[in-house]
Amino acid sequence: MALNLLADISPWRPSHSPGLNIRSELFAALIGAILVIPQGITFAYLAGLPPEYGIYTAIFVTLFASLFGTSSMLGGPNTAVAILIGIAVAPFAGRGSPLYIEYVLLLSFMVGLIQLTIWLLRGGRFFMYLSPAAITGITTGVGFILILSSLDGIFGLSSSDTHFFYHKLYFLFDDAENLVNPFSFTVGAITVVAGMIARHYITRYAILIAITVGYLCGLILMSFHSQVEMELELLGHLPINPLPVSHPPMGTDYLITGLAMLPDALIIALIGLAQSMVIVKQLRNDTDQPIQPDKEVFAQGIANLMAPFFSSFAGSGSFNRTQVNQSMHAETPLTGIVSAGIVLVLILLLGPVLTYLPMPAISGTLMLVGIGMIKTDEIKRLFNWRGELAVFTTTLFCIVFLGLQTGLVVALILSVLLFVISASSLELIVEREAVSVKIRVEGHLFYASIDQLSQILKKHRRENVILDLSVVTYLDLSATEAIAKELAKRNNESTFFAVKLSSERLQNQFEARMAGQPVQFIQYNHTY
Amino acid sequence: MIDWLIRLFFDNYPYSLKKLFKLRSWLPLLLLPLSTAGPVQSEQLPIENLLQRSYLDDYYSNVVYGYRIVTETEKYGARYTGNSLRCSNCHLNAGRKEYGLPLNVAGMYPKWRSKNGRRNGIGLRIRECFVYSMNGIMPPEDAPEVMAVAAYISYLSHGETIGEAPAGRGVPTLPDTGYDPNPASGKAIYDQKCAACHGPNGQGIAHMPPLWGMNAYNEGAGMAGVHRAAGFIWANMPLGQERTLSHQQALDVAAYINMQIRPGDPREYKLLKLFETISWFFDR
Repeated sequence: MALNLLADISPWRPSHSPGLNIRSELFAALIGAILVIPQGITFAYLAGLPPEYGIYTAIFVTLFASLFGTSSMLGGPNTAVAILIGIAVAPFAGRGSPLYIEYVLLLSFMVGLIQLTIWLLRGGRFFMYLSPAAITGITTGVGFILILSSLDGIFGLSSSDTHFFYHKLYFLFDDAENLVNPFSFTVGAITVVAGMIARHYITRYAILIAITVGYLCGLILMSFHSQVEMELELLGHLPINPLPVSHPPMGTDYLITGLAMLPDALIIALIGLAQSMVIVKQLRNDTDQPIQPDKEVFAQGIANLMAPFFSSFAGSGSFNRTQVNQSMHAETPLTGIVSAGIVLVLILLLGPVLTYLPMPAISGTLMLVGIGMIKTDEIKRLFNWRGELAVFTTTLFCIVFLGLQTGLVVALILSVLLFVISASSLELIVEREAVSVKIRVEGHLFYASIDQLSQILKKHRRENVILDLSVVTYLDLSATEAIAKELAKRNNESTFFAVKLSSERLQNQFEARMAGQPVQFIQYNHTY
Repeated sequence: MIDWLIRLFFDNYPYSLKKLFKLRSWLPLLLLPLSTAGPVQSEQLPIENLLQRSYLDDYYSNVVYGYRIVTETEKYGARYTGNSLRCSNCHLNAGRKEYGLPLNVAGMYPKWRSKNGRRNGIGLRIRECFVYSMNGIMPPEDAPEVMAVAAYISYLSHGETIGEAPAGRGVPTLPDTGYDPNPASGKAIYDQKCAACHGPNGQGIAHMPPLWGMNAYNEGAGMAGVHRAAGFIWANMPLGQERTLSHQQALDVAAYINMQIRPGDPREYKLLKLFETISWFFDR
């Protein structure tokens, strides 16, 4: 056990990945670094922090997650996590104020601690229960939230806090000439259109192209009008410090707030891990990387725990960047480690140019990310099965109308419910044969599903019954007891009751329970 | 009935549930034994006391943030500033000195200003400071920096009469001396009395602000007006020997300083700002 834990916390070394192709790793790292800069800035904006904190997150969370990870998954700032941080901390302090930043660091530290606890409890495997329908629901909901929050920047509204999204749309249409800033709208709309066109031709770099077009559009506008008269919001200087040492605040006052943020920290920790685990699951299926899921849980936990010591906020694995990474044939964590360094170099070089990046262009990319998160073909596929569709629509409805946190909890509960319901429903095939009734059971026989079988048995109490349990792999105590009870009520003189089981182990277990009951066994290897 | 149900679930439900978890509803109760200062107190704590606190509530943390932006602009307000000045270089003693452009003016806004021909709220006033005096870019209305400085300004305005100019507002208006400002004699006075702190080329030294060059305020700033600058110089400069210059000397020095090269007015030179920034970066 202790040895296992030690193996988990050892950092990655090139010798761990024998098939290391340095050139493709480095190229993937460069592309990853270019992609993460606009995302870091936007996600910092979503989390309510100054943009440099997003850059620090892109550097340090990526670095630690890859250093201790085993896969080519790229960590760093994440949409859902950033939104949740913003929602969680907003009630306690004004967005972007020093107190707010301290709370974000505290929250990230708590998230890291919770994730490490999950790692110690070996909880990583439980994330496999999150159903694909719920995940589609969550990503669609987050995409919807992203699109709506990008409207603020694109139309030049000051961040409006409305109860429901349609309030915002109503205000927007009702008072357009007073609210909408035409210059912001021009830049934002051109960015979105450019991104949509680019997506058709070069999907991978669509965001990069969109933000470049938005930037150039801003420059053209700025050569005709001054920023003061346009009131066009610009990114501003990024005071980047290569080693932004900080620490999470400690003290009794912060403890109180920390306790109040605990439910949020728990949700963020779970959602961060869930996303990372889904990515890990995909990578394990698609590639030959030597991935250890538990080690990935540790890597996420330690990355978030270290984040507040380097002015970063919590993050998680990133779907879109990992996908790009995979398409560049990056196979090892080296990509993430190098990418962190490249981000730092790039941002120090690009700093003065990025100052004049219009915020509507960033909001435009946010909208593009949001649109990209709503995957219509995945949603269409859900229409084939009612249960999954119900989980999807409920999750989406809850996220859109009751908030992201509520939606996530509902998604988690629904996934487990769906699993329980599908596990507890039995397939019962009743066939009438010459002298007997054959009841073939498919599914798990346990306390939740036994009732269905009991009803059928009750109906055929006066007939000869062959109970075929040959495809039942799980049979619990209460199920055997229920069958025994049913046997006791049967008319034993004139009918017989035979059971067919799948293995010797189950048969022994069954026989022990049925001692003294008039039951016959059909051998499990007997071909019927 | 249905209406009531909808309201219960969609309006009240998320709120009442949230309230249980949100700190705001019970934080004041818990903090009572821990802190002596609540927002109900009528006496205002001096900023020095606030700085020593390990924990501040939302309002006071914002005030302290505003104070830090004013006194350490290059660190806390860096996002929107473009030169190495601090707010407190002109708003002396962190905006608490009479006739040193004090910041206790929250009660005077909103008001109409000829500078932009609009009725200005305190927010717009602060944002324009970032554009002109700090030669930066205009922050959005809801930028945390703007809100923090606004909070600090209202904090300083405690006790002032709303709608009336506080005593010692701005800088004194110098009487007409009968002569035009003379930059040549201004240079002589500058070299003798100002150059020790502001440098012979107006570049400033450590902890002393530059007066011209690309690191100083731009041509759109209030200080770029000779009469405004002269009033400020007469009332506050040289530091520690204020009001030792004559009115005419102050005017001469102001004329000399403001005829030097400095960043352009962002309203007139549009794209220039970008090139200024990039060249400044490579010159560094």
